[in-house]
Amino acid sequence: MFLINCPYCGERDQSEFVSGGEAHIVRPKQPTELNDDQWAEYLFMRKNIKGIQFERWNHAHGCRKWFNVARDTSNDKIEKIYKIGEQPPKL
Amino acid sequence: MDNINTAIKDIREYSDLNLKEVEPITKINLRGKKREFFTKVGQILSIILPAESNTSTGNQELSALWLSPDEWMVYTNNMNKEIFDRVFKEISSLNYGAVTNVSDQWVCINISGDKLYELLSMSCPFDFSKFKDTKGSTTQTIINHIDVIIHNLGNNNINLFVRRSFSNHLWDWLNDGANLL
Repeated sequence: MFLINCPYCGERDQSEFVSGGEAHIVRPKQPTELNDDQWAEYLFMRKNIKGIQFERWNHAHGCRKWFNVARDTSNDKIEKIYKIGEQPPKL
Repeated sequence: MDNINTAIKDIREYSDLNLKEVEPITKINLRGKKREFFTKVGQILSIILPAESNTSTGNQELSALWLSPDEWMVYTNNMNKEIFDRVFKEISSLNYGAVTNVSDQWVCINISGDKLYELLSMSCPFDFSKFKDTKGSTTQTIINHIDVIIHNLGNNNINLFVRRSFSNHLWDWLNDGANLL
């Protein structure tokens, strides 16, 4: 368990949040031109690294807003929190 | 418009805690970002919606709670329905924002007493240390895994809003907890 500093509500317990998986995955502009492997790559394949990972989180039991988190998966330390639409920080 | 059918037909008093349902009470959910939305809300309800997170504003009749950057809940015991008819007609129908009557969705439980925050902290991850000293502060959190909205009225007195379908379960949990304190 860890604390997450919601950019709208402030610091809250992780149990108030829901993880939305990896961030910054861009939907293909022409999905009909992709083959099955490329479409599966976009839909299902996600990074699972040990280290800093960019993720989407939702404050589901609070303001219900989505935001991005740069989290170190090895120790759950949150390096940076930034709003949806902002560029990922260079860490 | 008002929740005439009460969810909790009970009032409990303990040595340092009092619990009761507040009814009938009108609750309106407001969502909007446009300038016209804020102007209309100010004109009709005579309140300024709180812009700062986890705060509330109000006048003698109404309280407006911050829920998110573009969402608020207004509640009142005032039975003046004309005001809310105007809110629907002049905001929702003109597409300035969204107005939803949530009177029957949320049940309001008033809890007061010196052991109030001890009771809530038995199963709530929220840190009440600053909250309890700030009259008018609000928060959305979970108590015993149940979503709640809490409005601090000051002097160890809160209005707690819980969804109707969870209200009896939370009421039982609160009373179980109060018995243990």
